[in-house]
Amino acid sequence: MHIDLKKEIKESGPGRTGLIILLLMIAVALLAPVIAPYNPYQQSTASLLPPSWNHWLGTNHVGQDIWSRLVFGARTSLLVGFGVGILSTLLGTIFGVSAALLGGLYEKVVMRIVDAFIVIPMIIIVILISAYIRPSILTLILLLSLLSWQGGARIVRAQALSLKERGHVAAARSFGAHHFYIAWRHIVPDLGPILLVDFIYSVRRAVFMEAGLAFLGITDPTVVSWGMMMRDALSFSYLDVWQWWLVPTGVALSLIIIGLTFVGHAAEPVIEPRLRGAEVA
Amino acid sequence: MFSKRNLVAYTIAFLFILVLNFALPRMMPGDPLMAIYGDEALIAMTPELKAQLVERFALDKPLWQQFGAYFLTLFQGKLGYSYYYNAPVLSVILGRLPWTLLLVGTSLVFSTMLGIILGIESGWRRGSRTDRAMLAGLMSLNGFPDFFLGMLLLIAFGVTLGIFPLAGALTPYSGLSGLALVLDILRHLFLPVAALTLAHLANGYLLTRNTMITVLKEPYMLTAKAKGLSQRVLKYRHAGRNSMLPVVTQTGIWMGRVVTGALFVELVFAYPGVGYLTYEALLARDYPIIQGVFLLVAISVLVANFLIDLSYPKLDPRVSYAY
Amino acid sequence: MLEIKDLRVSYGQDVILNGIDLELGSGETLAIVGESGTGKTTLGLSIMCLTEGTVRGVIRFNGKDLLTLSDNEMQQIRWSQIAMVFQNSNNVLNPVYTVLNQIMEPMVEHGLKSRDEARDRAAELLRYFGFPRDRFSAYPHQLSGGEQQRVLLAMAMANNPELLILDEPLSSLDAASRTEVGNLLRETDKHGAKLVATHDLDTVSKLADRMAVLYGGKIIEAGLTRDVLSRPRHPYTRALIRAYPNMTTVKDLQGIKGRMTRPVSGCPFHPRCTQVIDICRTKTPHLVWSEGRHIACHRGGIITLLSTKNLTTSFGSLKAIESVDLHIEAGETLALVGQTGSGKTTLAKTIMGLHQPTEGDVYLEDAKVDNRGKDFYKRVQMVFQNPGESLSHRLSVLEAVMEPLDIQGIGTDEERKERAIQVLGEVELPQTRDFLNKYPHQLSGGEMQRLAIARALVLDPALLIADEPTAFLDTSVQAKILKLLLNLQEQRGLSMLYITHDIAAARKVSDRIAVMLDGRVIEEGPSSEIIAAPKQEYTKSLLAAASALHSTKSSGIEQQKLNSQ
Repeated sequence: MHIDLKKEIKESGPGRTGLIILLLMIAVALLAPVIAPYNPYQQSTASLLPPSWNHWLGTNHVGQDIWSRLVFGARTSLLVGFGVGILSTLLGTIFGVSAALLGGLYEKVVMRIVDAFIVIPMIIIVILISAYIRPSILTLILLLSLLSWQGGARIVRAQALSLKERGHVAAARSFGAHHFYIAWRHIVPDLGPILLVDFIYSVRRAVFMEAGLAFLGITDPTVVSWGMMMRDALSFSYLDVWQWWLVPTGVALSLIIIGLTFVGHAAEPVIEPRLRGAEVA
Repeated sequence: MFSKRNLVAYTIAFLFILVLNFALPRMMPGDPLMAIYGDEALIAMTPELKAQLVERFALDKPLWQQFGAYFLTLFQGKLGYSYYYNAPVLSVILGRLPWTLLLVGTSLVFSTMLGIILGIESGWRRGSRTDRAMLAGLMSLNGFPDFFLGMLLLIAFGVTLGIFPLAGALTPYSGLSGLALVLDILRHLFLPVAALTLAHLANGYLLTRNTMITVLKEPYMLTAKAKGLSQRVLKYRHAGRNSMLPVVTQTGIWMGRVVTGALFVELVFAYPGVGYLTYEALLARDYPIIQGVFLLVAISVLVANFLIDLSYPKLDPRVSYAY
Repeated sequence: MLEIKDLRVSYGQDVILNGIDLELGSGETLAIVGESGTGKTTLGLSIMCLTEGTVRGVIRFNGKDLLTLSDNEMQQIRWSQIAMVFQNSNNVLNPVYTVLNQIMEPMVEHGLKSRDEARDRAAELLRYFGFPRDRFSAYPHQLSGGEQQRVLLAMAMANNPELLILDEPLSSLDAASRTEVGNLLRETDKHGAKLVATHDLDTVSKLADRMAVLYGGKIIEAGLTRDVLSRPRHPYTRALIRAYPNMTTVKDLQGIKGRMTRPVSGCPFHPRCTQVIDICRTKTPHLVWSEGRHIACHRGGIITLLSTKNLTTSFGSLKAIESVDLHIEAGETLALVGQTGSGKTTLAKTIMGLHQPTEGDVYLEDAKVDNRGKDFYKRVQMVFQNPGESLSHRLSVLEAVMEPLDIQGIGTDEERKERAIQVLGEVELPQTRDFLNKYPHQLSGGEMQRLAIARALVLDPALLIADEPTAFLDTSVQAKILKLLLNLQEQRGLSMLYITHDIAAARKVSDRIAVMLDGRVIEEGPSSEIIAAPKQEYTKSLLAAASALHSTKSSGIEQQKLNSQ
């Protein structure tokens, strides 16, 4: 199966759009100190001001510049998103490949755990834990990763199982290669496209989760988060202020998620070739 | 699909939840009773009650005995007492549950049905402008978090246009009954359902559309066309029926999340369901409620999956074969 | 009822059907015969207007051109007037509905029956096709291949269509079911017309009155089934029959050289045809009516390569051969069977010009042969009985094979050597230098005969006369030589006159057999007919005396042992 992932994404209209959006967001996050005129934490008495030349999106209820907070919020979303994405894909790969290669009791145990976690809704566990401990960004990334690697593990294991039976793996085994070598040299490289798709969807889920949890007020309040901004904006929904406070924030959040969705969708034919256009049989 | 494998997985899930529920409060520094009941609760308790609870939960005994006591208490259906609401946890939760079920149930029905129909139509016309527009449109819609959608709807229709009420499940103290009551409930229900439906529409749509694309390539579609059947029959009776299966399974899985699925929307609309309850309990650090909800989630997830496993063979005759 | 004119179907660049003309009347069954990929399924689908390719031409059904109808109009015709039995495969039936339901569906949807009536009729159809009663509510995945085929048949007959198109209807059935279902199909709906697309000649012989052979997107031969199968006139049809294992023909199986390709111009079969001439490569032949059937071949079908008329050769007063009328077609083997002294060798030598006939003529491709010059011998060669004698012990292997080329003065020395070595490869002899330098007395009997054959082939003849070529060889060697001859025929399209006293061997290598007795040909015909139903007494006696392996003797004790088991 030799499908060029980069080509798939670039050739699809939505894929291109999504990629552009993501790159834009990453640029904004990286350039935050440059494009944000104010310190996002600096409070002032100029609260709930409408947009003006001074404050492009006005100010919030404690006088902070909304545009600056918006720009810095991108950092949080992307940091958590990609952090969880990387960690959970890593864990998923490790467990998935090891389960496929080692088999036996180990595989059974791992897969039961995977099945169990997939079934439980992530959010309630996070809420329960958050009731006792207030997670910092790092803890949040860790926690979300521990709860979301299972989906990828299942897919990776399935793929690794089929790869295991391929000729070149059998050949390597006949040379006396042990599991780690086989995993590293023969299986993981072929997993590339699947891992990427799993990664994209993990990031998407994590961005959503972080925003949602911030919206609930569970996450670290010292960090600028779009979810938290929306939560604050909610209490003032009877004022006009929602137009420049709530909407840009919500749209920014939605844009990142849409961008990830589009890219993920364009990359999907990698796993399910039958979804491709008329070119393929 | 109904198999030992699933049963084992569900049991592990359930046990995990139980253990988590058990372990967390006891891992906290300080008085475990406080961790279980929350500080506010503790203030309200008399020393005798405290001693009683310590004994009930075996808090002065070794850990394994505590777990045994915990398990026993659970088994007796005693989920504890909420000091914040001044009522047994079970009754508080059960009081809120119907609203959540109403909300999630309704929106699930709508979003699934609409998603399936749109998915069928889109898949049938794959590649056309209509299809591409629907695809882009629904994928974009999917990117909007449900709370954002809820807020937009609230502001647009509730605040600005004033068509729908802003909060709650019914107008308080209105003393309505019969048809008027039903209408009132529906008016309050409309925006939250709309928000949830729109947020989850794309899931069913995408899945149906994808399945539809593969189904249309199957030989039996040519056979059906050769039979001179109308487009409608081909689309729905033949292709659609076969494309529905994954979505229905998915819906079943989402049913398991029924308790938590509407959490954000309930929050936005102050809808008095279990989600909102969880949030309130979180703010108030009312641990018994939170743990009670957690358990409820565990049970509903298991039940939902079990039901799906049972009903799948009826939907796909090929599966009963594997029984 | 059905008339197809110049139907062309293509998928993008691929041309699948390249101008098909057909006619089918009520009550007739026409078989479209072709191997996979020839477009028979596409033909069926085109009639139902279900192909996704570009379709041009005319398909007239009951006067209406189907290709001009709107989708709505076609939808009404489908399954009510024209129905199709699809090739049996996985997922050809919808997996989520019962078989009864799927048979009922077209009846109800076309408004022809109410649900109850439809159910009754569906049950009736299933019963008719031998589908077990207790399985009516089964789902497709629960059926065996044979059961599913019956369902497909029942479903197609649901609305009593006037035209039924069947795609490989019997292929997925076991032998017993094939006969049963074949009979059912023949009996059912005698007023309707049936079009059967298949590669299986058994199906054709069971079901069809007429058959049309499809190759390269064109019909290359069409006629009454019994005519075409017993006396095929197109090289492809003949090759197809020769490749098909069946209980009727007796010759060993042979393939067709080359692979199915679509040549850019000319006759689609020409790359694999063994009687190809220049025009075949450039112009596409049309399907014309000739002598009771349609055939598309520039040469009018398989040509007669060599024929003799009233040939008589006498030695003094003894008539060695008398009034011999024979013909050998291109690419076929005629076996001449008779005892010693029957005149077989004389006949061969007369044809070769080694004896002068006293009466009668020999014709090569319809041209009378008077003087046999080099040209004649380029086309007709002979392999003699005793290779030890026919090969000069003075010439090495290479020299022996090169000799005809030397005599005819063909090519340079290098070219002759190359050609000789190539031909040695064809007869499966070594091409090493050591071997080339050997002399006949250093070779085995089999090797010598191969060498003789190679020598005969080096001029690239069209006809090879083999006079008892295996007479001096061991049995196992004989088998290899016979196989070699069959292969050469398959590869080169060689015609052969195979002379033998052994009718059992003749049976395995010949398309036709001629029996000679006392200088006359007393019986002649297709091998399978001669073997199965000989007319002459002499022939019968030959067959009775021919080698057979069933033991005619068994002691009483052995018989008792058999009986008690």
